[in-house]
Amino acid sequence: MTRIATVLICLASIITLGACSKKNTDTFYQSGILYCSESAPVNFNPQLDTSATTSDATAHQLYDRLLDFDAETGRIVPSLASSWRVSDDGLTYTFQLRKDVAFHTTEYFTPNRTFNADDVLFSINRWRQPSHPFHDVSGGRYPYFESLGIADNVAAVNRVNGYRVEIQLKERDSSFLANLATDFSVMLSKEYADHLMAQGDPERIDHYPIGTGPYKFESYRKDHYIRYRAHDAYWQNATSSQRLIFDITPKSSLRLAKLMTGECDAIAFPAQTELDIIRNRPDLELAEKPGLNVGFWAFNTQRPPFDNPDVRKALAHAIDKNTLLEAVYFDSASRAKSLLPVASWAYQNDAEDTAYNPVLAERLLRDAGIEPGFTMTIWAMPIERSYNPNAAKMAELIQRYLGDVGINVNIVTYDWTTFRRHLREGLHDSVLIGWSADNGDPDNFYRPLLSCGAIPSGTNRAMWCNDRYDALLNQALETEDLAKRKAIYVQVNALLNRELPIVPIAHAYRYQAYRKELKGMQINPYGSIRFGGVTKQL
Amino acid sequence: MAQFSLYEEEYHPSPWQRTWREFTSSHIAVLGLFVLAIFLVFALFAPLIAPYDPLQQNIDSLLLPPSWETNGSISHLFGTDALGRDVFSRIIYGCRVTFGSSILLVMIAMGVGVTIGTVAGMMSGVRSSIMNHLLDALMAIPTLLIAIIIVAILGTGLVNSMWAITLALIPQFIHYTRSFVRSEMKKEYILASKLDGASAWQLFRHSILPNMIEMLVVQGSLALSIAVIDVSALGFLNLGAQPPLPELGAILADGLDVAYLAPWNVGLPGLSIFLMVLAINLVGDGLRSALRKRVSH
Amino acid sequence: MRILLRFSILFILTLLVLVVLSFALIYLFPGDVLNNLTGISAQSEAHRDMLVEKHRLDEAYFFQFTHYVSELFSGNWGQSFVSGLPLKEEIGRALPATIELAFYAMFIAVVIGIPVGCYAGLKSYTPVDYSINSLSMVGYSFPVFWLALLFILMFSLELNIAPLSGRISLLFDIPHRTGFILIDILLAKDIDTSLAMRDAFRHLLLPTLAISVISTASMIRMVRRSVIDVLNRPYITAARSRGLSRWQIFSRHILRNALLPVLPLMAIQITTLITNAMIVETLFSWPGIGNWLIQAIYQRDFPALRVGMLAVASLVITLTITIDLFNRLIDPSRDKYERGTI
Repeated sequence: MTRIATVLICLASIITLGACSKKNTDTFYQSGILYCSESAPVNFNPQLDTSATTSDATAHQLYDRLLDFDAETGRIVPSLASSWRVSDDGLTYTFQLRKDVAFHTTEYFTPNRTFNADDVLFSINRWRQPSHPFHDVSGGRYPYFESLGIADNVAAVNRVNGYRVEIQLKERDSSFLANLATDFSVMLSKEYADHLMAQGDPERIDHYPIGTGPYKFESYRKDHYIRYRAHDAYWQNATSSQRLIFDITPKSSLRLAKLMTGECDAIAFPAQTELDIIRNRPDLELAEKPGLNVGFWAFNTQRPPFDNPDVRKALAHAIDKNTLLEAVYFDSASRAKSLLPVASWAYQNDAEDTAYNPVLAERLLRDAGIEPGFTMTIWAMPIERSYNPNAAKMAELIQRYLGDVGINVNIVTYDWTTFRRHLREGLHDSVLIGWSADNGDPDNFYRPLLSCGAIPSGTNRAMWCNDRYDALLNQALETEDLAKRKAIYVQVNALLNRELPIVPIAHAYRYQAYRKELKGMQINPYGSIRFGGVTKQL
Repeated sequence: MAQFSLYEEEYHPSPWQRTWREFTSSHIAVLGLFVLAIFLVFALFAPLIAPYDPLQQNIDSLLLPPSWETNGSISHLFGTDALGRDVFSRIIYGCRVTFGSSILLVMIAMGVGVTIGTVAGMMSGVRSSIMNHLLDALMAIPTLLIAIIIVAILGTGLVNSMWAITLALIPQFIHYTRSFVRSEMKKEYILASKLDGASAWQLFRHSILPNMIEMLVVQGSLALSIAVIDVSALGFLNLGAQPPLPELGAILADGLDVAYLAPWNVGLPGLSIFLMVLAINLVGDGLRSALRKRVSH
Repeated sequence: MRILLRFSILFILTLLVLVVLSFALIYLFPGDVLNNLTGISAQSEAHRDMLVEKHRLDEAYFFQFTHYVSELFSGNWGQSFVSGLPLKEEIGRALPATIELAFYAMFIAVVIGIPVGCYAGLKSYTPVDYSINSLSMVGYSFPVFWLALLFILMFSLELNIAPLSGRISLLFDIPHRTGFILIDILLAKDIDTSLAMRDAFRHLLLPTLAISVISTASMIRMVRRSVIDVLNRPYITAARSRGLSRWQIFSRHILRNALLPVLPLMAIQITTLITNAMIVETLFSWPGIGNWLIQAIYQRDFPALRVGMLAVASLVITLTITIDLFNRLIDPSRDKYERGTI
């Protein structure tokens, strides 16, 4: 009791006497940015995970890439590579590296040298070579590079000198540079890796990260927060905030509430219903851009009866996409006909679409031997994504549509980590999920979502494998001629419309909501959020 | 002019009539009873009262404001929710689910509790002492905790959450029944019956139970208000009733996502729970003070 | 002394029942027994065999149980199935947060509830009493989650007076020492203590208020009832006839005798208090045990649920039994089962 009394007396004196000036208070509160993110990252290395959560927390905060996308034009611009050259046969890429790029100095590691060619070799070989000492660390799966087949296509990565690197491909790949600029192609520190290996604790590389990015890692409490500090020796002269904190807040309504009270300075994925509120508040800012994404309904094609294209077609005809767009996206999305959004250069305007036709759906179902009363599961992902802001609500709507054609639906959901684990194991009948592209290249949609190689890497939610489809995709990559590539993707769309392993539903706009005090915020249509160069002024 | 009674017979109201008279002298308790009656009518005749199917979604009328707001319409008295369902109908059905299940589980808990409590009260010695201590200790475990454990074992659902709340309510009934029976067993009229050769069952049926009913009504009203709060709290935490089942707590949780945009989706279901609990408490309180006054007069 | 002995036996017996229950949960929960116990997914058959042997799962239940108890005592509580963090540490962080919240709410309930309750009791059956009584009835009938929501909508979102999530702005990096945020702030170095204190107070405001409305209301009702009961006792009449002043009667006779039956009621209140704190935590993202348990059940984190249940139940029962014991010590004449009513 006496201790409590002491504390109370202390409190009283502090509150009455220690009233500090507003200036002090402001200086403190504007020293750091609070970002309310939607979920916890799997680890701190985006090479190992394709989820937007992981790359938001890492890619542009902790790391740099050889190349970057210009946020305005989408063109590839220099980053850690100050210049590059492509040979005439399109198989050899040479990169000139920037000098004097410092790695983070943290409590757990002090670097002795700056960034050089060894780090590039280490970073690429880690996902490329199964024999690399770090390949199997943290699971040994590199979903982005596996699903796109990049790992197999790189023949060699050579160190020309300390600041020049040469990459050789086996086959031409017109999307290779774009892939090196995505969130996942980050540059790690070889010196740190060697240090950890010597200590016998290599897994730490993905949990206590060292990079060259504008912020360095300070601490992480799972499912609560991530703390970063400014990287004072950052090579770009952008003034960033002293501190950056990711406050992990899974509920979207809570994130908005915290944005309004100023407990967050920026939030991830504002819900579509909330956009008008944000627009109407003078203290909040809402940036929007058409997104490179697609939300879809995927059938597990390895489970009967969903291995039958007619059943899938019937289900596709049983739902009214326009209603889903209105109710779930509140018209902040465009109707998806194929996998590609309008923003992509390969978008096919006259692609075939499945119309709402319950009569046809019912007939197809009966022909396929599905009697009324058949029960299936729809998995609704537990978190909001721009491509599907409310999967549970969408599932309830679809439940009703399928009820009309005599199918009972059980809606299944788990927390995000468990959800994805079970999806990878193929326990679902169908799932409402989607895909945000990492760059504007169409291959970035078609290959990870439906190619055979994407089944083990866990991005092919339909578990669908079709040789003709894979052949077409490979053929498209062999030419630099956009018109020819586009013609091939038209064939791909026709094939998908016959087979319907997934029903594309919507391409959502991308939104970024933040408080007016944040200066320098920019929406990045190609990948994850960037806080480098962002400051707060109260 | 004073009227003389021809016979020397006085009018003796029965104890229940006297309680009722005391009860009705408190206006606020009568008001509570009236509100409670409305909720009971809602629960019994939900399908007749509700203007819409509570699950009927309507895409054309999402988040309509309630009728008293400027752009509300009379066709949806309490407005609609994020899926276009009529909030008024959902609340009516919600009252049915929440109130109905609460009454049901209080009756079960009462049945079980009274049985065990009576047995414990009529027995004496070591067995009853151990049971008393343990029960007292277990009474302290929060319902929420029991519910979490049951949900972990059996999965979510209204019925499972009802089991949890029933389990949590039983010890109270045991406790009060046991104390009551023990004090009653010491009284002389019980001794008289015993000497008359009444069996334990007869003792209970004819001597103890009739005296216990008042205590049970009071405890039941207390338990009912706890049950309503617990059922809705578990529904709210998504551990009890699962959507789309309209249960007031679950409706409230549904409205949470649009709380700022459409506050009536949070305000009205919450208000219904609050009024329901308040009415139960008012009636319970009125009953208790009526009984108290009757005894003291 | 005999009372002390009896209460310790009761206490140990109850804890034993709880430990047995939590042990039984390993088998009752769905899924793998080994997972439920340790939270570790075995990587291989050999690893699994090793773990089974380590935890004696291949032996008879009795030996499993004794091993379980010894592990509990040595602080080896297993790890979370979802996050992989040691459960003892997690609970060590979450439990103080809840206790802190509940303590402040109880503090407010006592500071406001007792005087107001006494006042209402002394003025019983007057308009003042009726209005206090009705108000407390209203406060007592609030579902706590709704009240907390109303507070958030009104004070946070509309008026922007107080923040709505967490214990302190994350901009403050307060190292974890005791788990009680106010004490930790005082112990922390390199921070602006007064700024941090004010921030923490602002965060405490709404959740504490939401819980204490209900606790205060029931405290008022209990004290009022108790005071009225005491007022009707013959010794009060006796005191009056001896010519004691009103204040003397109140301070010497009424207060003490009225508060005694309230004490065991507080034991019941503890349960309600902790439950309400746990529910309110989920709304205010307060990093306490309630929030933690609810997250654990959403993620079906069985090892966490098992230990969390044991921890909360032990806490509540310890508090209850302590209050009961205290009550018996200061007033041995009282029948153990006699309790006031609300």
